[in-house]
Amino acid sequence: MPDPLLKPLNVRRVGDGLTIGWNDGVRTHASWRTLRDKCPCATCLDKTEKPPDPFRILSDKEIAAGAPVPVQMNARGHYAYQIVWNDGHDTGIYSLDYLRQISNPVPADGKEN
Amino acid sequence: MHPPQGMPPKMAIPGVKYLIAVASGKGGVGKSTVAANLALALKLHGQRVGLMDADIYGPSVPTMMGLGMVDQTTTPFPIEKYGIKLMSMGFLVDQNQAVIWRGPKVAQAVAAFLGQINWGDLDYLIIDLPPGTGDAQLTLTQQAPLTGAVVVTTPQDISLIDARKGLKMFNEVRVPVIGVIENMSYFMGDDGKRYEIFRHGGGQKLAREGGVPLLGEIPIDPRVAECGDTGEPIVSRYPDSPVASAYLKLALVVMDESRRTAGQSDLPEVQL
Repeated sequence: MPDPLLKPLNVRRVGDGLTIGWNDGVRTHASWRTLRDKCPCATCLDKTEKPPDPFRILSDKEIAAGAPVPVQMNARGHYAYQIVWNDGHDTGIYSLDYLRQISNPVPADGKEN
Repeated sequence: MHPPQGMPPKMAIPGVKYLIAVASGKGGVGKSTVAANLALALKLHGQRVGLMDADIYGPSVPTMMGLGMVDQTTTPFPIEKYGIKLMSMGFLVDQNQAVIWRGPKVAQAVAAFLGQINWGDLDYLIIDLPPGTGDAQLTLTQQAPLTGAVVVTTPQDISLIDARKGLKMFNEVRVPVIGVIENMSYFMGDDGKRYEIFRHGGGQKLAREGGVPLLGEIPIDPRVAECGDTGEPIVSRYPDSPVASAYLKLALVVMDESRRTAGQSDLPEVQL
């Protein structure tokens, strides 16, 4: 059940991932790899629901892009962010609730990893 | 850097202060009538107003405003009538012709109405949404900085079932719901008696369930249909009627709520 009061106060790159400071005082972090692997778009969901294909050939774009890094991250309405990845993939709309769910809390004095 | 390919970023509409969606899950509850009359009521309160018809398959705004298809090559959009700036699919397609489009084309048209029409300086852009929770609604909630939404219902349960879905959609996409308006609420007979033709209390029930205010109960007045069909909404033709006064009150609430909630739901920019 989405929490309509939950809202990010700041969203920024820290190390190799995204750190979000939430209005309930919690700070969470998710690596770029986690965010890319958990892309909620229909195409990615379809892929993740199938067993992994060990013979899948990477596209030229994927090879050229290397490790996933966002090149742009825009607010979508009042409820989500859209990430544009360095491999050109841009159809994932990450709702705030989903971002909170897939990121890990960072202790107040802790380091994001 | 790769530009976004699939979807454009959220677009601010230059010069437009507040964007208000008029929605309902159910068709036929009077959304377009409410949207047109709310727009005119805001205008009577001295606001600069636009009305965008996001119902691509079944546009009603042209008929309600006494307009029809125009020559696109010679007519600049938006079209102005009764001091309101208007845009609708009905200006582009003959009313006897069906728009047979798949969802992505609808989304494109809605995005074009929002982003490519020169709305100029407006206090309010009222958006008349189609029924349901589909492509037009998603495009708007993802691409337009909506200030708030007004959910229209009629009193009976069959209307509430779908209106509830509309309310839930706005909650999920975090668009503030200004409140619920109950249309066709009752009929006041010549004998002074109140007849609740479509039952009673649906709007109140929906508002209570959603934790939002009931903004008003608009009575049935046969002149509403007459005005809609002849192209001059009741707020303009009969500004002293009880229906018009309900819309004028509604407009005041929308003005208050817009000022209160504007900007509160905006998300912070990402520092990459």
